[in-house]
Amino acid sequence: MPTATSSGSRGNIVAALGKPLGALAIALGIVALALAVLGANPAATFAALLSGAFGNWLAATDTLVKATPLVFTGLAVSAAFSGALWNIGAEGQLLFGALAAAACGVHLAQWPRPPAIAVVLGAGTAAGAVAGALCGWLRARFAVSEIISTIMLNFIAVQALSWAVHGPLMEPSRAYPVSQALPPAACLYRFLPPSRLNAGMIAALALAPACYVWLFYTNAGFELRALGKNPRAAAFFGVPVGRVAVFAMGLSGAMAGLGGAVQLSAISHRLFERFSPGWGYEAIAVALVARLNPLAVVPSALLFGALDNGAQAIQRAQGVSPVLVQAAQGLVIFVLLAFDTPVLASWRRRGAVREDLASGRADA
Amino acid sequence: MQGLLEAIAISKRFGATVALDAVDFSARPGEIHALLGENGAGKTTLMNVIAGHLRPDRGAIRLDGAALKTGSAQAALHAGIATVHQSPMLFERLSVVENLALGGFGTTRLALREVAQQSAAMAARLGFTLRLDQQTLDAVSIAERMRLEILRALSFGPRVLILDEPTGLLAPAELSGFLDLLRALRDRGRSVILITHKLAEAMAVADRITMLRAGRVVAQTTPSQTSAEELAALMVGGALPAAARGDTRDGRGDEVLRLAEVGLEVGGRTVLEGISLRLRAGEILAVAGVDGNGQHELTEILAAVRHPSRGHLLIEGRPADAAQMRRIAVIPQSRDHEGLILDLELWENLLLAPSLRRRLRWAGMQRRAAAMALCRQVIERFAILAAGPRQKAAALSGGHRQRLMVARALESRPAVLVAYDLTRGLDVRAAADVARMVREFAAQGGAVLLMSTDLDEIFELGDRMAIISRGRLLEVAPHDRSAERVGLLMAGAVG
Repeated sequence: MPTATSSGSRGNIVAALGKPLGALAIALGIVALALAVLGANPAATFAALLSGAFGNWLAATDTLVKATPLVFTGLAVSAAFSGALWNIGAEGQLLFGALAAAACGVHLAQWPRPPAIAVVLGAGTAAGAVAGALCGWLRARFAVSEIISTIMLNFIAVQALSWAVHGPLMEPSRAYPVSQALPPAACLYRFLPPSRLNAGMIAALALAPACYVWLFYTNAGFELRALGKNPRAAAFFGVPVGRVAVFAMGLSGAMAGLGGAVQLSAISHRLFERFSPGWGYEAIAVALVARLNPLAVVPSALLFGALDNGAQAIQRAQGVSPVLVQAAQGLVIFVLLAFDTPVLASWRRRGAVREDLASGRADA
Repeated sequence: MQGLLEAIAISKRFGATVALDAVDFSARPGEIHALLGENGAGKTTLMNVIAGHLRPDRGAIRLDGAALKTGSAQAALHAGIATVHQSPMLFERLSVVENLALGGFGTTRLALREVAQQSAAMAARLGFTLRLDQQTLDAVSIAERMRLEILRALSFGPRVLILDEPTGLLAPAELSGFLDLLRALRDRGRSVILITHKLAEAMAVADRITMLRAGRVVAQTTPSQTSAEELAALMVGGALPAAARGDTRDGRGDEVLRLAEVGLEVGGRTVLEGISLRLRAGEILAVAGVDGNGQHELTEILAAVRHPSRGHLLIEGRPADAAQMRRIAVIPQSRDHEGLILDLELWENLLLAPSLRRRLRWAGMQRRAAAMALCRQVIERFAILAAGPRQKAAALSGGHRQRLMVARALESRPAVLVAYDLTRGLDVRAAADVARMVREFAAQGGAVLLMSTDLDEIFELGDRMAIISRGRLLEVAPHDRSAERVGLLMAGAVG
């Protein structure tokens, strides 16, 4: 008498999409209300937002460009959070990645392009991995909260980058705190100019399923998820808790660092202060909306990339501050988390218990 | 009578389990009333009902003849019923005085100095010392914590003070002082209800004794009318199987597990001391003991998550390295916190077992199809009520969670099965099923080390029997297996 409900794959997809989309709808509803109260036209504002994000070929490709670093950092956060390792340091890991990529890249003018690109991306990945793994090790060895160590490392990354562009990496004329441009050999392939579509996006798209497979199909990914769901049980059944933490934080940092290197090599070509507008922090929102599922990180990053891109347009068209878009992004998270509050969860559980009783299931 | 507390015909069920069945209980002013019983007899449930933490299904609580609102801790406290919980409910990062200020000293503001003065005065009246100057509880000993919690409970000016297993955490040296404190409270006209499973304590300090077994009152007596032996027999239910089955069974196999003088220290405290045992193929060694006497740590050692401080293990005659340790499969006590990951699917929970995790992987990848197939087999063979391998463990009922744990342990094809509280919290049928699975494993040549707080389980399953008390293991010879003797040994009264 199999009375327990099976969670079929169709149910899964509906549940997986339903909540974020519902949260988005509610958040946009609240924003529309706020706009109306403030005397702006909600419909026109949303139209401007949409056309700013997808209105023409260039706007649409630029949304993809804006989403790319969010995919890398979003995956980084998803992987770490799946093991209850609260990596708030994707920002710093991305900056370290960009810094290492720039430091290597400027010396590769004489190299053929493929190995030069490989070195640049490899350096970024390695730098991010070291920054992440360091925090994992501090937690495993000295029980230092990774939340604190990763946040602290973010500040160090910002200062290190600032020092580098004022010092060793400063452009030759020494007029601006900007690094020398990467030589063409170290720049990632771009397609279909004048758009800024590039090979980094393909890497991001390929990384998401790879990350998904690692998390859900490998032994190491399983151990990480077990650790995240129930550290006591994981430890009891011999999951090497410390090693898993170091490895997962390193992997998470590597993905964020790769994101920084890709951004440098494909888009900016130069390093400068405020290189990141906060991709590493926005990544937390991206990962939460994706419910930590690496495959869902891609659409989630696209959503946030589109909102970021459209935010510029609403200022021009409707005179509405782009801050409003940030508020909307925050609201999406807020509403999504509200779906998971204990009150709602216990209410749902009561419903489930009632069903069990109705179906006469023994409460053994 | 003034100050008389009466609980009348209290019944309480949890799902299919009857925790209390029409229990009558009373406490008079100026007496110490000991409430005795095994783990799971219903002692704590009864006290939670009296203190308003639980609402009974039936029955009433009266104080001075007036009915008390049931299920309201506020009402109970207001009426003068205060509780000292089994494990002190204190705030580690607050100072001693701040912890006391959360009591009922009747200060309108957070007047810490006033609280400190009143506490000191109260402690002096009762004749005990408490270091009120501690800024956190780091350096505050277990006995002091207990005194702190008692002082806090007394700050409400209760007429009835309930103490739930207060001596479990006290060192023997602290015990007599503690019992004197209880006598001092009694002499000041309070009702003291002492919940315990330690017979010697009850005999030493109680004016009246009530014994619960399986949710029913089985005796009401006084120390002068009874003896520790009689109480021990009452506690475990009198009628025990004369001799456990396996003693006559022959054809026992070779030794598969040996512990030699295993000792463990945790944070400077000796948890296990000189544990030696030999376990042969095909036999079940049942170790009885009250919770917290080292069983948990012993389980962890056998699960290879803790290393003994002294001594060593031999498995199938070889020193226990990592590979040999995987020949032991462990069923931990707490299925929801240690045994299973409720938020993962059934097949993933199977893969928690280290040897299954190794068997079902290839080049770092999980062999999903094989794991799912195994999980489907397990569901079928062990009659687990589940829709399929993709279901989350949280959707299983307690009995089926336990079946899953047993199935997982047996599927690891271990040489030794270690289980702690195999049938705790299961209904009769589920308990019987799980017990049968373990017995079959032994019949096919497996060795079983079964630790339990439940004597029925011990007597039913054990071929050999031992007692664990304060981290020491004592084997009980077959002829020595009377209920009195076992009860006394468990209570730490002998040996």
